[in-house]
Amino acid sequence: MSTIPEYYKIVEEVFEKYKDKEFLFVGRHTQRWDSIEKIKGRALFTADFARLYSNLVYVHSVRTKYAHARIKSIDVSEASKYPGVLRVITAEDIPGINDVGYVIPDQPLIADRKVRYIGDIVALVVAENPLVAREAGELISVEYEPLPVITNPLDVVDLMTLKEKPHTLVHDERGSDILVHYKIRRGDIEKAMREADVKVEGVYKTPFQEHAYMEPEASIAIPEPDGSVTVIASTQCPFDVRKAVAKVLGLTLNKVRIVVPAVGGGFGGKEDVANEVAAKAALAAVLTGRPALAVHTREESIIGHSKRHPMIAWYRHAAKKDGTLVAVEANVVMDGGAYASLGPFVPWRATVHATGPYKVQSARVDVVRVYTNNVYTGAFRGFGNPQVIFAVERQMDLLAEELGMDPVELRLKNILRVGDETVHGQKLTEEHGVGLEEAVMKAVEASNWFELRRRYSEITGPVRKGIGIALFYHGNSIGVEGADYSSVTLIINRDGSVSIRTGLTEFGQGSTWGLALIAAEILGVPPSYFKIENPDTSATPDAGPTVASRATVMGGAATVVAAYKLRKRLNEVASHILGCDPDDVVIRAPDVYCSSDPSRRTRWADVVEQSFWLGVPLQEFGYYRAPRALWDEETGQGAPYITYTFGAIVADVDVDIETGLVKVNKIFTAYDIGKVINRMGAELNAEGGAIQALGYALMEEIIHDKEGRVSNPNLSTYYVPTIKDVPEIIPLWVEAKYRKGPLGAKGFGEPSFNAVAAAIANAVAHAIRANVTELPITPERVYMLLKNKQKT
Amino acid sequence: MSEVGASRASWNTYRDVEVSFKVNGKEVRVRVKPYERLLDVLRNKLGLLSVKEGCGRGECGSCVVIMNGKLIPTCLTLAVRAEGSEILTLEGIAPEGKLHAIQKALLDTYSMQCGFCFPGVIMASKYLLDKNPDPTEDEIRDALDGNICRCGSYLRFIKAVKLASKYIKEGKVFFDESEVLR
Amino acid sequence: MFRFDVYVPKDLRDALEAFKIYGEELVPIAGGTDLLVLYRQGMVRFKALLDLWSLRNELSYVKLEGGLVKIGALTTIDELSSSELLKDKRFAGLRDACKTFASPFIRSVATVGGNVGAAHPLSDITITLLTYDASVKVRSLEGERVVPLKSFFLDKRKTVKRPDELITEVFFSEPPNNASSAFIKLDRKVGHGMGYVAVGVYAELDGDVIKDVRIAFDSMGRAFPERALMTENALRGMELSERNVDKVVREVLPKEMGRISDYRASAEYRLHLSQVLLKRALLGVGRRVRGE
Repeated sequence: MSTIPEYYKIVEEVFEKYKDKEFLFVGRHTQRWDSIEKIKGRALFTADFARLYSNLVYVHSVRTKYAHARIKSIDVSEASKYPGVLRVITAEDIPGINDVGYVIPDQPLIADRKVRYIGDIVALVVAENPLVAREAGELISVEYEPLPVITNPLDVVDLMTLKEKPHTLVHDERGSDILVHYKIRRGDIEKAMREADVKVEGVYKTPFQEHAYMEPEASIAIPEPDGSVTVIASTQCPFDVRKAVAKVLGLTLNKVRIVVPAVGGGFGGKEDVANEVAAKAALAAVLTGRPALAVHTREESIIGHSKRHPMIAWYRHAAKKDGTLVAVEANVVMDGGAYASLGPFVPWRATVHATGPYKVQSARVDVVRVYTNNVYTGAFRGFGNPQVIFAVERQMDLLAEELGMDPVELRLKNILRVGDETVHGQKLTEEHGVGLEEAVMKAVEASNWFELRRRYSEITGPVRKGIGIALFYHGNSIGVEGADYSSVTLIINRDGSVSIRTGLTEFGQGSTWGLALIAAEILGVPPSYFKIENPDTSATPDAGPTVASRATVMGGAATVVAAYKLRKRLNEVASHILGCDPDDVVIRAPDVYCSSDPSRRTRWADVVEQSFWLGVPLQEFGYYRAPRALWDEETGQGAPYITYTFGAIVADVDVDIETGLVKVNKIFTAYDIGKVINRMGAELNAEGGAIQALGYALMEEIIHDKEGRVSNPNLSTYYVPTIKDVPEIIPLWVEAKYRKGPLGAKGFGEPSFNAVAAAIANAVAHAIRANVTELPITPERVYMLLKNKQKT
Repeated sequence: MSEVGASRASWNTYRDVEVSFKVNGKEVRVRVKPYERLLDVLRNKLGLLSVKEGCGRGECGSCVVIMNGKLIPTCLTLAVRAEGSEILTLEGIAPEGKLHAIQKALLDTYSMQCGFCFPGVIMASKYLLDKNPDPTEDEIRDALDGNICRCGSYLRFIKAVKLASKYIKEGKVFFDESEVLR
Repeated sequence: MFRFDVYVPKDLRDALEAFKIYGEELVPIAGGTDLLVLYRQGMVRFKALLDLWSLRNELSYVKLEGGLVKIGALTTIDELSSSELLKDKRFAGLRDACKTFASPFIRSVATVGGNVGAAHPLSDITITLLTYDASVKVRSLEGERVVPLKSFFLDKRKTVKRPDELITEVFFSEPPNNASSAFIKLDRKVGHGMGYVAVGVYAELDGDVIKDVRIAFDSMGRAFPERALMTENALRGMELSERNVDKVVREVLPKEMGRISDYRASAEYRLHLSQVLLKRALLGVGRRVRGE
């Protein structure tokens, strides 16, 4: 027997009630609750708390010399005796389980048997001075037996057969270095390929990308008198950190408290490494009995945390003469580096989105993720989708060229609209909100696509111009990756101010402020009354991880539930004071009045005070769990996500064909994110995502040498865009509302990154009339493309 | 001849050095280690936590302050070099309860994301406006080229510096904090 | 050791005496933007730093004296770029190099002497100074000696300067009015970067004829900035035209330039880019001399 949970009904009821209303706060520009403290430089980030502890100790990580080796012995005696050193910690000192793997237990906190990448830790030195800790670290001697280092994922599997090749296993204990293999099987692929009029194929490559959040990883752990430990941590997922710390220390969950202050950026990177850093600090705190700070240097951050998965993909697309897409085949290999991290999930999202936002009658997709001795890869804004979008959108342009069609025309012929089935057989309805066509039209119109596409094609001379388009869709929240729930506590305080408590974290994206705007709208209380409390596993409810563009959609739905219930009670109290019907009550804090007779009025503060004396509770817990997602492991058929965000990006570029330098002039971003909740957050995400993706397109690439060492572990050799690199960005919005989302909202954190690099790649290909198959599009790659073109 | 942290006879004593300077208009005197960076001293000894460490290598701009009228990276500045200097950090650019025009402009342009780079961006912007009250877009881009904002608020920074320039020209250098949150 | 002591000299003589007492354990620090990064990476070790900042009043200047342009070793890049003396077209290349030198806050502390002393390909000021045929003044307790900049480097991070010597000044002859210069570097981004290739060009024109020319690259083969002497010789006396420049750049430069491949770029691309940028710089200098 199944009953529909109350929270589904509430979210839909609220959607219906507000869908045609003009909003007071939602979708408008507002100042966040933390604006003043951040603009004044008073906001405290994790490392800023160090100053509060006079007896603080510092944790230094001693890392391996080899990217792949067996550890034969380790001698820490000299280091332990070094003046100023309190403790040297090795694997055998760990009281609980020596593992910080995020999804599967494959990643020791401190290496014991072997090291698998250049960031692996062999010992921790705890000292009163960070430089002393580093000096002592040099006295630790480890005897290694070096093993062959694997840096090329194609040494692990063959791209065309996806069969594992004989090699020295990175994870010998697993018996195979293929972590996962996901599939889509739809229609009769061979027949479709045989009968198609045109086919295009290619091999596409994308690089390791570094998050480069400005605040490096940090944790401060404080031992508590009862044997528990409190950790201040820079993380996106406090409840996951709690689990990891408890596991390493051998404590129950209620003996570990994680507090998240201001966080200086995350982009997916502060999902799993936070477990490692918090565990290091906690271990040191527990073993020395003193507060301990573990903070990564920039170089450690770059070699020691997950990266965006590099992809090597072979694609074949087939279409009819009129442009109808009939079949897509793909083999995708993702380099996982040394550990699983989010690796069981990233390739799954890549698989789901592997054919792009198009109707595809037949498909065969195989995606594998393999272990190598590179820095491990995990979550990064887009989560596997940007990689396959690059391949798919390049393929679509090749197909258009082959068919003699305009790239926009070809796409419009095949895009998903209401009533269409995705490649997984999921039927898209009005309820999902499908605004792709409108997004394409907006981007095309704003960019003057047809005119410029024609005009740029005729340009000759040393500076060429190009314009390119790329589309995407992006499943919201986590789909079948796990239990997809969220929760929020809303508290109206005695003075009428409002506190929001949730385990969802703010790390720059502004989505928790969206929760305040939703609650403000429903309660009738201005956003300036609100404060979002810092996530604290001992005070804020577990809302699941702050990942997968889920905070607004999932946290927002939980907020709708809590605010709806509170509002109901407030209306009853107001009705009691004013003498009109509860449904007649209007709350516009600081005023409350009857809609039918506005002269009958009271104050918000009085309604709150009355509720207190009447015994009406003004705290409410909101919970929401996403409808279940469906996925057949063998065929990839089902309904993998609750809904999808859509978008169309147009990029306009100049290419200096003598040097190969690409300069982006303009990026038009048209997004269907359902109802825009936090206008400021949405605009900043559109710009910020585009800039980060511009980096991905043109300059960003972590390089490993043959020994598995990172060649560019700092910000002068790993380039990220600076202010001079940034083009004009024109954000455009489509609001195809998701009926089951909070006020019709869909997710936007990751989608703002997704298709920008692909659009730039298509624009460069247009400008130089050559086939761009690899990111980043460096001047040298452009030079080589032009040189090879000349040859042929 | 002055010796810092060591007697002539032997190194490795790391003796504390007394350093006096002016920070945000106030005279301070602190004991520092010879190997300490100005960044560490401002943060840990003086509690000026707006000065952020993003890279420790002069590559990101999160730790910049104005010292003797120059924008400098505190992560690459020895603390002993502060002797006799005058330093301005974000904490000192506006009186209590007030916002400097550039702070107001950054809020007016809705540029706030994670906020970690903001202290550096604000100091670099103020440094620019002090020297060049009416900068062009290119001059703003040149002046902020060392400040990495990974969240990507760059386009807002350009608008904000222009707006701040306008405010200052109108004689509006300081604003009440409460004006922003209305 | 990652901890160190600091010695603050009261004047130049005091600084030089300190070397005598402490020897090679004492390492001089100017702006620190290079040294402190190397130290952090564990690539340079020292027991103590000799903090030259206290010598700024002695060693920070840009002046014209007896037909020589003299730049004090502790002049910052910022001070160099804003020097009134260097505002005219004859010094345009130095201003180019300052404008693209790292980021604004690095320019306020990095020094000319530090850039020369670094002995590294990525030394933009040094590349430009080579085109002015500059010389380096070094001092020790034994006295002063002058080394032409082009013979100052021995290898990457190795110079002819002894550990007990300090760079005090860089100087070069004041260029004539028919001269100008340019500096160009290019990387994969528009904003500041290291540059795959950096080139400096100085030329004196007699009408359209190249009377004298000096060219320096970040690297000609060895890992420090050097002059492209064969290319200079080929250009000297030629008419400065796109055609001539193109020919020399294609035919002569590759004969004397040996580029390396590394994680940032291949030797082939670096050579190609060297040719393109040299051509642009030469033609740019021509326009500058003519006042275009």
